[in-house]
Amino acid sequence: MTPAILALNLGLSFAALAALCLSLNRHHADIFGTKPSGRRVVLLRVLGWAGLVLGLVVAGEAEGWDFGPVQWIGALSGAGVGLVLLLSYRPRLVTPAGAAALGLALAGGALLHFA
Amino acid sequence: MKGGFRQSMAWLHTWSGLVVGWVLFAIFVTGTASYYRADITRWMRPELTQVQSAAAADLPAVAERAVAYLEAKAPDASSWFIGLPQPDRPLLDLFWRHGPGRPSGHALLDPHTGTEAPVRETTGGDFLYRFHFELHMPPLWGRWIVGICAMTLLVALISGIVTHKRIFSDFFTFRRDKAPRRSFLDAHNVTGVLALPFHLMITYTGIVTLSLMYMPWGVTTAYQGDSLTFFAESGQITAPRLPADRPAATAPVGPMVAQALATVPETLEGLSIVNRNDAHATVVAVFEEPHGLSHEHPQVAFDGVTGAVLEVRSGGLKLAAKTFTTMVGLHEAHFAGPALRLLFFLCGVMGSAMVATGLVLWSLARLPKAEAEAPLGLRLVQALNIGSIIGLPAAVAVYFLANRLLPPELPGRSAWEIRAFFAAWIAAALIPLARPHRRAWSEGLVLVAGLCLAVVAADIAMVEAHPLRRLGEGEALFLWFDGAMLALAALFAFAARRVARYRGPSRSEPRRAPVFAAPGERARA
Amino acid sequence: MAASRPIERAAILGRVVLAAGGGYAVAALSTALLSVTLPMPRSEAVTTATLLSFAILAGVVVLVFALATLRRAAALVLGAILVLGAGLWLAAGPFVLAGGAS
Repeated sequence: MTPAILALNLGLSFAALAALCLSLNRHHADIFGTKPSGRRVVLLRVLGWAGLVLGLVVAGEAEGWDFGPVQWIGALSGAGVGLVLLLSYRPRLVTPAGAAALGLALAGGALLHFA
Repeated sequence: MKGGFRQSMAWLHTWSGLVVGWVLFAIFVTGTASYYRADITRWMRPELTQVQSAAAADLPAVAERAVAYLEAKAPDASSWFIGLPQPDRPLLDLFWRHGPGRPSGHALLDPHTGTEAPVRETTGGDFLYRFHFELHMPPLWGRWIVGICAMTLLVALISGIVTHKRIFSDFFTFRRDKAPRRSFLDAHNVTGVLALPFHLMITYTGIVTLSLMYMPWGVTTAYQGDSLTFFAESGQITAPRLPADRPAATAPVGPMVAQALATVPETLEGLSIVNRNDAHATVVAVFEEPHGLSHEHPQVAFDGVTGAVLEVRSGGLKLAAKTFTTMVGLHEAHFAGPALRLLFFLCGVMGSAMVATGLVLWSLARLPKAEAEAPLGLRLVQALNIGSIIGLPAAVAVYFLANRLLPPELPGRSAWEIRAFFAAWIAAALIPLARPHRRAWSEGLVLVAGLCLAVVAADIAMVEAHPLRRLGEGEALFLWFDGAMLALAALFAFAARRVARYRGPSRSEPRRAPVFAAPGERARA
Repeated sequence: MAASRPIERAAILGRVVLAAGGGYAVAALSTALLSVTLPMPRSEAVTTATLLSFAILAGVVVLVFALATLRRAAALVLGAILVLGAGLWLAAGPFVLAGGAS
């Protein structure tokens, strides 16, 4: 079931990194034109870190605690590259892409759960 | 040092990165390519499409054929290594050693006939793989230089992390429209930080892979320098046997292969045969690693005279030995399936980009004020930057091109491929010296893009079994390889366009002027 | 940290030599010492010591460049070499040291 876990990992990593990135003044301003409110910063950071931890736990449980972390880090780097490129060339797409990534993660999770 | 901790670390980062940067770039690029070493070798031997792989049940007979060939060809060799056919490597891959001072031998056989296979002579992906840690130098020299560079990279990584004040807030920042110094700094930070776990892992595990050469002193004190006993005690090899100096006939290997296959459930990779025709003749069957991170090949050792099993090594390593083999395994990434391998490859590309942007950044930060002559040191660094960042990719592309264009029957063909590699590298490093610096960059990048396209063209033109000429039939590998070359060509062409567009701090302009042309504006280089 | 004056260049060269030579000496001696003193089977001790040695080497290099003066850095590295060398002498005897030099 590696492809499903990888999709889950990539999606979750991308969404989590996008949340963390939106919690930073500069990037929030790039996309929405304003600084984020204090509450929004906290919310985005909590969601972002929770997503990263969840990704690690899912990868570890699904692939074993030797493969899982390796795959998690790989997915994190891959998602990070995508996010940075999107952010500098098409910043407006970051939010929809984050939502789509979350969808991909859910699809991967569903496939993993039911298949 | 003066100026406090952070400044000393910034200094250390700058200079440690610079002095080894050019070699590191070559190590990173060839190492990244080595994730696809087997695929590259396969691509460079297009005749292999005609060879059928052997089934496991045939392996005893195939091994006997290999032994028959070696008996005729290398009867006095001190050791034989028989690489058995695998799905992705369908040939018998033979290698023999004559002991110190005498050249070793190598042959590729058709597993079904036991005769030399009609494939072009090439070192394939192995050349890039060995270059990654030996730089095509005598092994001792090459490995020490690579080790020193890797150790320096480790120091550069640590000092780079310490220097980087705002690692989290800069994590996602790549300001592509700002001054080139700014965007190169951002690109250096992003490629360094995003793949930082990979960079630290690959550097440390790379050093660990050759650790007993770099740091033999534990074996010196605890084993009086006897590294074979150390390897055997730590469970990495079967117990070594010295020659008994009593002649004895060596038994046929077929039954041993059959028994080894019945003992270990993994894929059988090959046999090593030492002390032949001696009472202590030993045959070791080596298997592929089981699923897992660890580089840990199960092994079955046979008495070469009686054919009896001496020892079975399969798992059961102690903690430190397991840590060591896991580190080696992480470095080689044999365990990675296609998707994970692609991610490792991507991380390797980011490592190469981190080194390249760091090198360019050094020279950008030291550009002289308007009208001033560039100092010698800067011009030297600029020349070396182009020579490695343009020269090496050009050399790799020419290496692939030579594989397709040199006549298959040319004597010493594989050596000519390697000569083409170095000739291209030297040419690509020297020609830019005669050109204005920034023009040299854009021309060089265009050249590399063109060479990548030429590889694809030569592949389609020269390989009759190419899928594009057979309406999609044939091996997908050729399509993947050509696709990767096209992607690289696009990447280099894109970079060339960026460099050509950027109106950068030429001598007549103030240094802080906006340096990127506005998007959509015509290039006016 | 522009190395403009000769004395500063000499100090930087001194640090480079100290970091490379001294760092390797500290790492080598600690590998040898840990290999014969760690309370585990000797193959495990050797592997553990060797795996750690490169972290030790990197640490010494960073330290040599981080300390305020070259003199302090040299004192620290030489002190570590003496302590580790003495420890190795006690743990393994001069016999091993002589063997290590050969």
